[in-house]
Amino acid sequence: MDKLLEVRNLKTYFHTQDGVVKAVDGVSYDVNKGETIALVGESGCGKTVSALSILRLVAEPAGKIEAGEILFDGIDLLKLTTEEMRKMRGAKISIIFQEPLTSLNPVLTIGRQISEGLEFHRNISLNEGLKEAVRLLQLVGIPHPERRIYDYPHQFSGGMRQRAMIAIAIACQPQLIIADEPTTVVDVTIQAQLLELIRNITKELNTALILITHNLGIVARYAHRVFVMYAGNIVERGSAMDVYHYPCHPYTAGLLTSVPRLDEPRKIRLIPIDGQPPDLIAPPIGCAFQSRCNYSIPKCQNEKPPLQEVAPNHYAACWVSQKDQRPWQKKSL
Amino acid sequence: MAIVSKAQTVPVRPHHSLWGDAFIRLRRNYFAMGGLAFILILALMAIFAPLITPYTFAEQHLDQILESPSWQHPMGTDQLGRDTFARLLYGARTSLMVGIFTQFIVLCIGLPIGAISGYAGGRTDNYIMRFVDVMYAFPDILLIILLRSVLGGSIYMIFLAIGLVAWVNIARLVRGQIMSLKSRDFVSAAKTMGGTGNYITWRHLLPNSLGPVIVSVTFNIPRAIFTEAALSYIGIGVKPPTPSWGAMIQDGFNLIFSKPYMLLFPAIALALLMLAFTFLGDGLRDALDPRLRH
Amino acid sequence: MLRFIVRRTLWLFLVLFVVLLITFVLMHLVPGGPWDREKALAPKVVEALNKRYGLDKPLWEQFVNYIWGVLHGDLGVSYSYSDRTITSILAHGIPKTATLGILAFIFALIVGVPSGVAAALKQNSAIDYSSVLFATIFASVPGFVLGILLMMIFSVVLHWLPTTGWGTFQQLLMPVFCLAALPAAQFARITRASTLEVIRQDYVRTARSKGLPESTIRVRHIFRNSLIPVITVAGPELANLITGSFIIENLFAIPGVGRLFVQGIFARDYTLIMGGILFYAIVIAILNLLVDILYAAIDPRIRYE
Repeated sequence: MDKLLEVRNLKTYFHTQDGVVKAVDGVSYDVNKGETIALVGESGCGKTVSALSILRLVAEPAGKIEAGEILFDGIDLLKLTTEEMRKMRGAKISIIFQEPLTSLNPVLTIGRQISEGLEFHRNISLNEGLKEAVRLLQLVGIPHPERRIYDYPHQFSGGMRQRAMIAIAIACQPQLIIADEPTTVVDVTIQAQLLELIRNITKELNTALILITHNLGIVARYAHRVFVMYAGNIVERGSAMDVYHYPCHPYTAGLLTSVPRLDEPRKIRLIPIDGQPPDLIAPPIGCAFQSRCNYSIPKCQNEKPPLQEVAPNHYAACWVSQKDQRPWQKKSL
Repeated sequence: MAIVSKAQTVPVRPHHSLWGDAFIRLRRNYFAMGGLAFILILALMAIFAPLITPYTFAEQHLDQILESPSWQHPMGTDQLGRDTFARLLYGARTSLMVGIFTQFIVLCIGLPIGAISGYAGGRTDNYIMRFVDVMYAFPDILLIILLRSVLGGSIYMIFLAIGLVAWVNIARLVRGQIMSLKSRDFVSAAKTMGGTGNYITWRHLLPNSLGPVIVSVTFNIPRAIFTEAALSYIGIGVKPPTPSWGAMIQDGFNLIFSKPYMLLFPAIALALLMLAFTFLGDGLRDALDPRLRH
Repeated sequence: MLRFIVRRTLWLFLVLFVVLLITFVLMHLVPGGPWDREKALAPKVVEALNKRYGLDKPLWEQFVNYIWGVLHGDLGVSYSYSDRTITSILAHGIPKTATLGILAFIFALIVGVPSGVAAALKQNSAIDYSSVLFATIFASVPGFVLGILLMMIFSVVLHWLPTTGWGTFQQLLMPVFCLAALPAAQFARITRASTLEVIRQDYVRTARSKGLPESTIRVRHIFRNSLIPVITVAGPELANLITGSFIIENLFAIPGVGRLFVQGIFARDYTLIMGGILFYAIVIAILNLLVDILYAAIDPRIRYE
């Protein structure tokens, strides 16, 4: 398969008063054309920052991409000029943000906000852009789009706003869409609708998708491959099915037991992961998950485990797992 | 001392209360601290004026009229032979007193009215706000002039005239604060636990809206000082011989071509005092802004 | 929208009535009367004057008569400028006060808003620091002190500009600058703060993610939002400029409404005081109404109450 995006050894740090926060510290992943991958992890693990790094939208001057390569169709995005990068955003790569209310400009009409990207990338007039906006709103399932384009964001419901965000993201038919927890702030009933919508649209347009979520439960259904992030690093990667059924990192296993699963009997209790993620200013020397891990061995304290293949096409950064032991799998099965 | 340094070596970031945090941030702001220092030094000089200068503000030396600055009179003398430096020091008393006492009056009126309006809501709030609207329809400073004409020229009446007009802003601010706080969880919690209206207002709502009030008061002090100086400048401020920087500026203005320093000293003193309060106000606002809290 | 304007206009008349009532009461509480002169007038003369101007009638009747007059566009006759109507006195003063106020307002907007925006867009740069420093200085130094300092420099030392008077362009420069300094500083401070706030908003990031040019992001997404707070203070600022100009009018000897009003108070010229207050209250009310309309025009969230 053709590689569309390849992130290599990305390091994005934030320089704060208290020290350097290593939000993303040497992360690599790749997306094939038309493929959906999932970046999974708790809040603060660096998944959003790594996605924003692709678009070079990390809040400056505090945040800075320190090292790495982001190859998009073979071009290193980090080496582009500001102007070249601007032409990439929206046209080739677009993003759906988490908060549809604050992510839409309150004083511009929805139609305007959908059409403005088109106007610049396709060089078309506002009128043509609005016509296209009507078609896009229809596509994302908003009734009476020809009237709705003149509405302002506050006249839309939460779910409709997120549909409008999706319309903005697909406006220029990009090759890659990043969806940053697109369903966190909407009602549970609407979450599934939105995810289905995103899946259908990406399929139809043959767009690759990076789905960022903390919910491993939805990953198996929507993603081809999964990258689990913890404390600024990838700790496990593999096909969605493998990761879901045979987690090779105790953190992934913890994530799985902390969300409801559709394929398990209801009686199984949800088990939260105890403790807090480590301080990213001064990360521990060994495995970052070690202090919260029930299966740690002495080696975990002193040496950071590298990401290694533990099963065919299934990688994990865990000393225990690399010794072919998965005590957590037995427990969850 | 030893205990303090020990506490500082603890690697965990210390936890501070809102006020503690604000104080630390304020101390780091050199402009604000400079402003505060200037105000405090001026206040001390005004209080201990009799120890600093041998002259009083009213004492006339008719043989030493309109003298240029000298060792004897560091800022010269005015057309009645009064020492400008002494008048400047005693004038600082007037300015600072105007600043502080008007705000005292403003708080006495504005705080309860704003709190009642915000907490009671409904019809009470509606009537109070309509009255506030009427107050806003007046040109502030002209209403003060009118009140000053009614009340007379004693310094206390000037406080009252300014205070009677300036309370509106604080009332509006407190009302807004309380209305937004009223819907917050900790107030509902207090209500559920059986707190009554007055108790909730005084125990929970007012302390929480205190930050913006402090900032607003700090910004209003220089406005009051300015108002008094402006009134005295056009000749309807405090009655002579009570010294006022505004009146000194007016005296100097008549001699702008021949004795410019007479004008310069009070003008610069007034400008510096206002600047000091603005720096302090800016610093307080930045320090107390809860959005900056991490 | 129309209903809103009608309701506001009706409310405005009520407010003006109350303002006039309060002014009337306060005015008559001021000790002394319009006929107090250095040399006391004969009681007979005073009586005759009172009769002529209707001051012998009970206070409530005087007030009713005054309001009746105002409703017919008659603001009465001045007591201190013999035989001149208040309308004609105001007609002489208003153009000067309005010219000063509007010129200063435009100047303040042109200088204040861009410097606030520039400071915010280049936060922590030399531009930012100098803009903040100047804004702080001009926001604190009183206008008349500034006027005096300017006068010392440009009139006394350099002899470039005339100290006082009205009519020529040179005579306008210093008063307009002194009046504009404070609002310009306030516009700069507010614009800077609100722009800094808007820059951090999610929707600006969304605009960037669409690949819009930086200039479009600034004009369409940042300024439109960051100017909302500026508009809310613009009305009161203009009102302040027009009502607060009396000190500057005094300093530069400009015969505007402010100077007339102060003279009116000294002379207990009741009709002049009432006329002045009425003018100012109307200016304030109209500007507040304009702000509300403008506010609704720029921020769609306001329209649907």
